[in-house]
Order: sequence, then C-alpha cells, then structure tokens
Amino acid sequence: MSSATRDLSPWFKKKNAMNFILETLQVLGLVLWYSLETLVRLFVPTKRKNVSGEVVLITGSGGGIGRLMALEFADLGAVLVLWDINQEGLKETARQVKERGGPRVHCYLCDCSDKAEVYSVADQVKREVGDVTILVNNAGIVTGKKFMDAPDTLIEKTMEVNTMAHFWTYKAFLPAMIANNHGHLVSIASSAGLIGVNGLADYCGSKFAAVGFAESISLELLATGKDGIKTTIVCPYFINTGMFDGCQTKWPRMLPILDPHYVAKKIIGAVLTDQVFLLMPKSMYLIAGLKNILPTKQGVLLGHYLGAFNVMDHFRGHTKKVQ
Amino acid sequence: MTAFVVDLLLMLLDLLRCVLRAAAQTVVRPRLKRVDGELVLITGAGGALGRLFALEFAREGARLVLWDCDRAANERTAALARETGVAVHAYTVDLSRRRDVYRAAERVRADAGDVTVLVNNAGVVAGRRLLDCPDELLERTLLVNCHALFWMTKAFLPPMKVTNHGHIVTIASALGLFSTACVADYCASKFGAVGFHESLTHQLHAENLNGIKTTLVCPYIVDTGMFAGCEIRKELRGLIPPLDPLYTVKQSMKAILGEQRMICIPRLMYIPLLTRALLPWDANVATYRFMGGDTCMMPFIKNAGDESGQRPNPLTAFR
Repeated sequence: MSSATRDLSPWFKKKNAMNFILETLQVLGLVLWYSLETLVRLFVPTKRKNVSGEVVLITGSGGGIGRLMALEFADLGAVLVLWDINQEGLKETARQVKERGGPRVHCYLCDCSDKAEVYSVADQVKREVGDVTILVNNAGIVTGKKFMDAPDTLIEKTMEVNTMAHFWTYKAFLPAMIANNHGHLVSIASSAGLIGVNGLADYCGSKFAAVGFAESISLELLATGKDGIKTTIVCPYFINTGMFDGCQTKWPRMLPILDPHYVAKKIIGAVLTDQVFLLMPKSMYLIAGLKNILPTKQGVLLGHYLGAFNVMDHFRGHTKKVQ
Repeated sequence: MTAFVVDLLLMLLDLLRCVLRAAAQTVVRPRLKRVDGELVLITGAGGALGRLFALEFAREGARLVLWDCDRAANERTAALARETGVAVHAYTVDLSRRRDVYRAAERVRADAGDVTVLVNNAGVVAGRRLLDCPDELLERTLLVNCHALFWMTKAFLPPMKVTNHGHIVTIASALGLFSTACVADYCASKFGAVGFHESLTHQLHAENLNGIKTTLVCPYIVDTGMFAGCEIRKELRGLIPPLDPLYTVKQSMKAILGEQRMICIPRLMYIPLLTRALLPWDANVATYRFMGGDTCMMPFIKNAGDESGQRPNPLTAFR
C-alpha cells in the first residue's frame, strides 16, 4: 500500500461520515417536504391522469363497487375487461356500460378462488384484448359466520379470493407492465386490513395479507426502478352494497356506512392522482393512526368507543346468495 | 348528541387512567406469571427459535408438546428439553396441511391433555421474488405462516374457552407491521398473521374471556439463517443488527410471562410501525430507501436460489 493511499484513508472515512450526515439531513428534509405536500394536497386538487385507451381489468365487477368502478372507467374512455363468478351480474354491468356509450367491454366468467381458472382466463384476455394496464383486484368475500363456527372450506375460500387471487393476477399481468414500465395496480382491501375487527378474524387475516402484499410489491417495483407502475391500496369502512348488510355503526356521523357511488368516485380519483393509500371515510386516517400509536389497552378503549366490537352482531350479508 | 359527548368524556377519562397505569409499568416491572404445570405447545420446535422457546418453557417447569415437520430436529429439541426433567411429547406435523394439524391435535389431546399455552412459532419464506417464484412455494408460505394459525386456533381454543384459561402467542414479524421488497409472500403471510391475531384478541375480549391471554411478537430479522444475507445500510448495521436468537426468545418470554399484549423486538421497530401509520407514503419510502430497506433482501434472494435451483435449508444452515 503506497503512502499516498494510507494518507487518504482518514479522508475517505471523513468523507463517508459527511455523506452519511448529509444523506440523513436530506431524508429528514424529504420527510418534512412530503408531509407538507400531503397537507397542501388536502386543499389544492392534484392533476388527474388520462386513462382513455387503458385496458382496465376489474375482478368482481358483476355488482357492488366493481360495477360502479367499471362505469366510471368507461366514462373516462378506458377499455374494460370484466371478471366475475356471476354471469347475470356480468351481463348487467356490460349492459349498463354500453348504455352509457362506453368503449369496448369484454366479459369473462372467472372464479377467482381457482388459480388454474385465473391463469387460463388471464391468457384468454391477453390473446383477445391485449395487455392489461390497470389491474383492479376488487373481488372479495366474507363468510359472515363467527370464525370458530365458520366451515374450514369457506375460510380457505376467503383467503383464496381476498389474498391468493391477487398473487395470481399479479403474476399474470405484471410482467407486461414491467416490460413497458407502465401500469397501475389497485387493491380493494378494507379498513379491516388495517385494524382487527371482532367477528371477522379470517376476513381480517385475508385483508391484512392483501395490504401487506400490495405494499411489498409496490416497494419492490420502486427498488427496481419501475416508477411507471403505480399502486393504490383502498381501505374502506363498511359499504352499503349488501355484502355487509346488517352491520351496524355506532356513530354514523363519524364512521358512516359508506355509499357505494361515493366510494367508486373516490377510488377513481385516487387512481387518477396516483394516490397510494385511500382510506374511507376520512376519519379512518385518524382511527388507523391512533390505533397504531395507542398501546393495546387504549386501542381496545377506542374500539369500544367506536362500537367496533359489535359491528358484526346483526350481520346478514347478501340476502340473495351469489355463490 | 349528549350521549356522544358523555361517551367521549368517559373514554378520555379511561384513556388517562390507562396511560398513567402504562407509565407506571415502565418503571415497575410487571409480575411474571408462573407456567409450571401448564401444557405448552410450540410449533417449529426443531428450528432455532423454537428450540430456545422449548428450553425456556422447560426451565419454567412447563410440560411440552413439540411440533415440527423435521422429525430429526424436533427429536433433538425434545432430548435437550427432557434433560431439564419435564415431560415432553414430540410430533412430526406438516402445518401446511389442515387435516394433519387436526389429526395431530387429537393425538396431543389423547396423549397429554389440553394445551394451555399455544406458541405459533413455525415460519417459512419462499426466498424468491414473486415473478420468479413457483406458485407452490408462495402457497406454502401462506399456508404455514397464516392459514395454520386458523386451524391451530380452531383445534386448541375450545378447551381454553371452557376453562377460561389459556395463552395464545403468535410469533409474527416486524415484516407483519411494515413491508419490504422481494419477500412479498412473507409480508403477506405475516400481515395476515397480525390481522388474524388482532381480530382474535378482540373476539376473546368481546366474549369476556379475559382468562385467555394473547401475545403478538414482532421481531426484526433474527440471525437464524432464515434470512441469511439480508443487510440494511452499512452505517446502520451496528444500530440494527440481525437479532440474536436467544435475546429474541428471552424478550418474548418476558412479554409472554408478563402477559403483555404485543412486543416489538427491538423497541426501535415501534418507529416504522408508527411512521407507516402517520406519515404519507412518499415520506415513508424516502426513509425506507435511506435505511437501505429497498435493497436489504436482495443478497438474501441471491443466496436463497443458486444455479442448481437448490435452496439451502434454513433449518440445517443454523445447525
């Protein structure tokens, strides 16, 4: 080792230390900047991107918010690929889209709990329509029974539809998005994916997993430089579509049972502005935040206060059996 | 409207009481309960953490039921535990098969009685990025880390409910509280475990089963070989090294015996948990990148699959 190198060594060490300090300051600055930006965005509307011509695939679009999102996307000129397990529901959604003068709409019957079916229908879509650029994993089920009383096969199906289906659709459609560095992954999870709820143990497991999965892939895409692929994770409170019929909310002003049209519009808004997390209603941001700050006992108190322990007491679910 | 305000005030008073009690507890150590005579079931008992848990519980005088899919490793743990003089039953169980779980639970009931402390410790990771990973490996991670919790609860909770006595411990992970790149299957499964555990805890509380305790353990990466190669930013490696397995288990035992609802190991892990909930996404990504979180799993993924496609067994790697 030459004396020159030896002399420079402490300088390198100092330089690295300086770099580290500078980077630390930079990240603290960025944190502050992004927090302020979010605050400003509450008041100043963000530019909405154009999705005309994009190929939007929505699972579970035979009803509920899936249908409403399809109509919204149709109005924006997107090409629709509709998946559902229910033939009648699919037909009705397609009819409503065409009625509004929506561009092309393609319907496929698909049971999202069946991996082989997901892959084969995905292949069909790629052949017949092309590459999906906006993937909306919306299909979701709930057993509605108390966890201990729910049949194991139903619990397994809940995980299959609410979580595993996301794995398979990502595997099917993500490669093309990565190749073009263009796409949007939308995961319709639930606020039960951020906060555990009494009476929904398996549903919470599945929704938490869906959130964790979407987040992980989102971080991986960023780490590999695929910043053209956006992610939106949607966590609504109960929506009035019949899926959680009978559920009660203790303070309707603060935590209302949401109107599906409102939810669909907000989701589209989040997609068009590349928002990553969308919680509904707005009070959910505070509740989810508090739940993580407060130690468990206080969290339980908050739960009691919000009536969270009793939401499923009078659950009825879809009065018309879909499956 | 009055009802709302009254409820709000009552809750705030309760909150104050809880905060004061929690503050007092940071100074005054909570009393650790005794578990001698309890029947403790540990899954993944052949692995690094599982073996240490078995020995800790054996030292406390508990009777042990050890489950693992690796018969040899499990028998080794059983032999070590028997040296302390406690009764040990060892079973080879594949947690990814629901029927295996129930069958084994029946045998446990016949051989040893009702399990009173359940330690859901077994965990696996696929070790491949999503698009490079065979579906079977993805499914296995979910089945072992998440689904198995459902079946274990169904098998072992009913007797606990009858006596209103028991303790369910879920060894999740810090990656069940916040995500990282390259291990999407693991993050999904651990998030699921956290969500299920939380919901189950609320359910027990709603049913007034306050004799059944739950503890959620969320450790950072533990140095067992399971995530060999994972490394964060150089300058921070000293601050947040991979955890020593014994330290992890000792801290977990303190939480379990102190009937603490949740523990993050090390305490620094509470910070990303909070920032994920409070800060906007972009801010979190900035800090995550700064910490080297976005590339931390890449060396692990490289190690996990060499050219022949053979994965080193994380269990044997430790032994």
